[in-house]
Amino acid sequence: MLSKRAEDGGCWEPEGCGQWDWGCPETRSRLEEVFFGDQDVIRRGSEDCRRFWAFFERLQTFRKPKPGPEAERPPEGPRCPALADLPATYDPRYRINLALLSGDGEPGPGPRGAHGRLPRDRLAEFRRAVLHYLDFGQKQSFGKLAKLQRERAALPMARYRQHLLQALREHQVVVVAGDTGCGKSTQVPQYLLAAGFSHVACTQPRRIACISLAKRVGFESLNQYGSQVGYQIRFESTRSPATRIVFLTEGLLLRQIQREPGLPQYQVLIVDEVHERHLHSDFLLGVLRRLLPARPDLKLVLMSATINIGLFSGYFSHAPVVQVPGRLFPITVIYQPIPKEEVPTSKVERLDPRPFLRVLQAIDRKYPPEERGDLLVFLSGMAEISAVLEAFQPYAAHTKRWVVLPLHSALSITDQDKVFDVPPPGVRKCILSTNIAETSVTIDGVRFVLDSGKVKEMSFDPKAKLQRLQEFWISRASAEQRKGRAGRTGPGVCYRLYAESDYDAFAPYPVPEIQRVALDALVLQMKSMGLGDPRSFPFIEPPPAASLETAIIYLQDQGALDASEHLTPIGTLLSQLPVDVVIGKILILGCMFDLVEPVLTMAAALSVQSPFVRSAQSDVECGTARKPLESDHGDPFTLLNAFNAWVQVKSDRSANSRKWCRRRGLEEHRMYEIANLRQQFKGLLQDHGLLAKARVVTGDSYSRQQRHRQRQELYQLKRRHEEGEGRKRKVLRLEALEGGSSSGEEAEVSGSQAGDGTHHVDIQDVKFKLRHDVDQLQAAASSAQDLSRDQLALLKLVLGRGLYPQLAAPDQYNSCRKDSDQFFHTQSKQGAVLHPTCVFANNPDLLQGGQAEAQKNQGPLSDRRDGSSSQHQLLAFVSLLETNKPYLVNCVRLPALQALLLFSRSLDTDGDCSRLVADGWLQLQLEGSEGAVRILSAALRLRARWEEALDRQLARQAWPRGEDGAATAPKTERKAAAALGRDLLDFMRSKVSYSIHRLTALEAQNLYVGPQTITAAPQLPGLFGEAALTPHETKGGYAVTSFLTYNCLTSDADLYSACLRTFWSCPHCGFYMPLTPLERMSHESSCPAAPDGDAHGASEEEEATSGRQASTLRRAYHCEICQKDLLLTPTEILRHRRLHV
Amino acid sequence: MASSSEQELRGMFECQVCGLTVPYSYVGQKPPNSRTVVLLEECYVLKDPFSSDKDRFLILGSQCSLCSKLVCVGPECSLFYSKRFCLPCVRENLSAFPQEIQQDVEKRYALSKTGSRKLDSRT
Ligand SMILES: [Zn+2]
Ligand SMILES: [Zn+2]
Repeated sequence: MLSKRAEDGGCWEPEGCGQWDWGCPETRSRLEEVFFGDQDVIRRGSEDCRRFWAFFERLQTFRKPKPGPEAERPPEGPRCPALADLPATYDPRYRINLALLSGDGEPGPGPRGAHGRLPRDRLAEFRRAVLHYLDFGQKQSFGKLAKLQRERAALPMARYRQHLLQALREHQVVVVAGDTGCGKSTQVPQYLLAAGFSHVACTQPRRIACISLAKRVGFESLNQYGSQVGYQIRFESTRSPATRIVFLTEGLLLRQIQREPGLPQYQVLIVDEVHERHLHSDFLLGVLRRLLPARPDLKLVLMSATINIGLFSGYFSHAPVVQVPGRLFPITVIYQPIPKEEVPTSKVERLDPRPFLRVLQAIDRKYPPEERGDLLVFLSGMAEISAVLEAFQPYAAHTKRWVVLPLHSALSITDQDKVFDVPPPGVRKCILSTNIAETSVTIDGVRFVLDSGKVKEMSFDPKAKLQRLQEFWISRASAEQRKGRAGRTGPGVCYRLYAESDYDAFAPYPVPEIQRVALDALVLQMKSMGLGDPRSFPFIEPPPAASLETAIIYLQDQGALDASEHLTPIGTLLSQLPVDVVIGKILILGCMFDLVEPVLTMAAALSVQSPFVRSAQSDVECGTARKPLESDHGDPFTLLNAFNAWVQVKSDRSANSRKWCRRRGLEEHRMYEIANLRQQFKGLLQDHGLLAKARVVTGDSYSRQQRHRQRQELYQLKRRHEEGEGRKRKVLRLEALEGGSSSGEEAEVSGSQAGDGTHHVDIQDVKFKLRHDVDQLQAAASSAQDLSRDQLALLKLVLGRGLYPQLAAPDQYNSCRKDSDQFFHTQSKQGAVLHPTCVFANNPDLLQGGQAEAQKNQGPLSDRRDGSSSQHQLLAFVSLLETNKPYLVNCVRLPALQALLLFSRSLDTDGDCSRLVADGWLQLQLEGSEGAVRILSAALRLRARWEEALDRQLARQAWPRGEDGAATAPKTERKAAAALGRDLLDFMRSKVSYSIHRLTALEAQNLYVGPQTITAAPQLPGLFGEAALTPHETKGGYAVTSFLTYNCLTSDADLYSACLRTFWSCPHCGFYMPLTPLERMSHESSCPAAPDGDAHGASEEEEATSGRQASTLRRAYHCEICQKDLLLTPTEILRHRRLHV
Repeated sequence: MASSSEQELRGMFECQVCGLTVPYSYVGQKPPNSRTVVLLEECYVLKDPFSSDKDRFLILGSQCSLCSKLVCVGPECSLFYSKRFCLPCVRENLSAFPQEIQQDVEKRYALSKTGSRKLDSRT
């Protein structure tokens, strides 16, 4: 085609006549055909080709007149033969060590025939231009390489390279101590690679650091486009068989050890930032210390700031320390303690911004605006940041010398990114940050640091199992870190809003995380790694004993550990799910009732930071747009709705999900996280046989092809984006920043822009579509959107059971209170309030059904004054967080009676079962013993069936799986689960009127009758399977099941249980006898004509199979305490053990 | 896939003038996959680490045609004028080179001096 056009003639005439025009498209096309073919270095239409023409144009403008034919010969003759044959005449082309074969040879036919039409001298000229271009490229790349090597060699770490390698040859463990800027994190891995080590893992406390370090080290080790350097984080991995060094999080390495305790895949481990003392890093050190003797060939490098080095060295039998000085410029410290009258007197009072403002003014007075240098302010939390922001903004607007930017983890990613942008000339950037900028985020150009000396940290109260966010003085080590941020690029100044004597009184180091957080996940992981008793594990610094005890008791309460602290089957599974125990339970329970899709989403949503942007809370428009997403069942359902609605938007190709999120005050990044996490959960459930692997729906070949094409396009977009290397630094605008956060327009254009801005690529969207099958997600989302009432109720039950015992009861006077004054009580914490984001915080009436009805009942027409209702509600919550008040976070409401009957670990009754006490803190008074007995016995049967179903599910997980890897539930099992689901729903709907009362301390003390002398067990055959009725040793009454104790409650009327016998006829079989309530229950549960029970909805044959299956789960169990040999399922063993507690 | 595109490293190239040390993957005049480009001297070559194109190569250095020292192509270490010369050799035989080269060498010398002074003031 092209040659045909060439024959038509171009804009140039054959040799000699007419004007030669390099710019003529026809000419260029012919030249490209000759020089830029598929075999050539530069290919037609490539980016390189475009760059060449730009270069060529510049070359034309600089073209000098040709030198005269006779250049001067050097006056002296050559001294040696090598110089003798230097070209006599200078020509720049002699300076190029490249030659080009393209366009050579005789003109002739063939693909390159076109050049016959080009004048020979023009061809030669063009060839020289190409050579110049290639030479220029060589010079550029080499310059880059040389600069890189120079910079690496100039790092303080470089001088210690040999020292480090020598130490590592002689010792198994080496500590590298060096401060920020010494280059240890980037250089040490490279030294190891260059020294010939090849399987190197380097852990980082933060995911983001894994990615950035892998990029940097890849670049520096000239492996930017290779695969020797990779990273591995929760959702992403660039690891391949060729990878020689991998950056990964501490948590991930721990998981690898959990799978392969000897860690055979690594030769060297580097644990970076050990001084930060994260929970995982402390634990990892402990695990590694145990591992090292078993792997004498494994080398371990600990890297730390120059903080507390002796501790780490000592922990590894005095490992040698390579200490590297940092590269910091001198920093002047100015102590400016806050005057007394400006110190907030109570913790609710807002921070006084005046001392901060004075520093701003001092900088303006002392340093001319043309001297660049930004200010970094360290504050304790978001409230403090907004107080200072409010005070700084008018000042900044007035002086036009500052742009003020907040920085904390709850900001949107776009807003966080702004702190890296540059201010216009004459204007300084002022970043108001939490301690996130102490180590996690490094901002260049900071010259001034203003340190409030405060930090807010989570602390854990093991007694109340309560997380508390409290303000503390920082440690001296943190103060030094903060100060150091001022001296990274030049000499700096650090203002400290405290006295030098305060500084001296600070603790030397921050409190390690292990000493201030809940340890359940840690204990669970330790158990599953077979590390024995956590109490005797040799931690580098042990956690408080009370925290360990609390964690163990909690895991026992959650059913993950048994009475002798061994992992239960469910505990084993939970230890493999990288989530909170509660969330893990919800996942497992959800699998049983075919609620996998919504449960996956909820579990994921509850495991990430809330996608609801706090600042949008007060925004009326946001509130209105959010409204349709809200669910009156509770926050997890709102999250489910939000995610599903977002997926619908995503699946619509034309819709802009980013805009959709912004309008609703949703952080889209969290949505991506939820999508990734739920995918990971799904994989885990499939791996553990709880969920059948989805069959791949291939569709017809057309749709397959189309899908393939779409994916190719997405890959291309992603590659192009990666080559464009993300976001360019932008110049901040003064006016636009007055709001402190991004305006809508700005957020629209920021983010990733590829190329020359001709098209916007939402790289998150691209990655999302590459990682997920959007159609499949959309199908799941729309199925979840039309969940039936039944499914919703079942979902609530699953959540409730998972979250139990995290329950809160509304205060009895809530209905008389203002919306904002609603109180709730948990067993251990009184007076908790709802988190402002909670759906019930704005709609408290949703929780007052019981109280409202009870009040109505109190009217003159009713003689009941006891608050009876069938609609009492309880809240199950995901976490209890204490800041200035204890807050319940992520709540679901549940019908109180049913939830307590189904979930309580301890249920105590009186003689006629109308009075029940759940877990020793909530008392239920039911109306009429008849109904009470019926609902109690229904609950008992349901609980037994549910346990059994769970056992079977867990046992299936433990079985070796077949070739196809899928362990699908047998049909019968699925039917039984469906039947159980139906019966649970019936149970939830049962209407019984009752009152609910939180026991006072005094009442709780005198709750039980205590051990009785008459201990003859009533004869109640077949009531609860094989379990024998035994007198309860402490409470009195009889232990019926592991959780139910009959007739152990003291009451005013001292009734003898036998006196409670009344005539009763069985509604199913017509049996008629005087019976106690317990005897009635016994008969009902064993009555062959009863419609309830396993037979419900299943044929007899199926019942027989399911019975057989249950019996296959039984194994011989010898109880040490009662010296009996029993045949029990794992759950029954657990139940049995509890009897002895 | 990625590993096959990575060329085997043959050893370390070290410039005997400036000490620059970089791994190389090929020595010769016809770098692998270099298509229609040939080198006019025996070069130490590395796959261009700054290009995603796996066929792009980067010349690190070669032998000085006078003293046979291994030198990098950096402007402070060597120049090419139909052959490779290390800068010490060029300066020794300066008069044997054309005017243009002589001027260029002087310029480089002056530049490197100010450059190193700048570096000194930083530390
Ligand atoms: Zn050199
Ligand atoms: Zn030489």
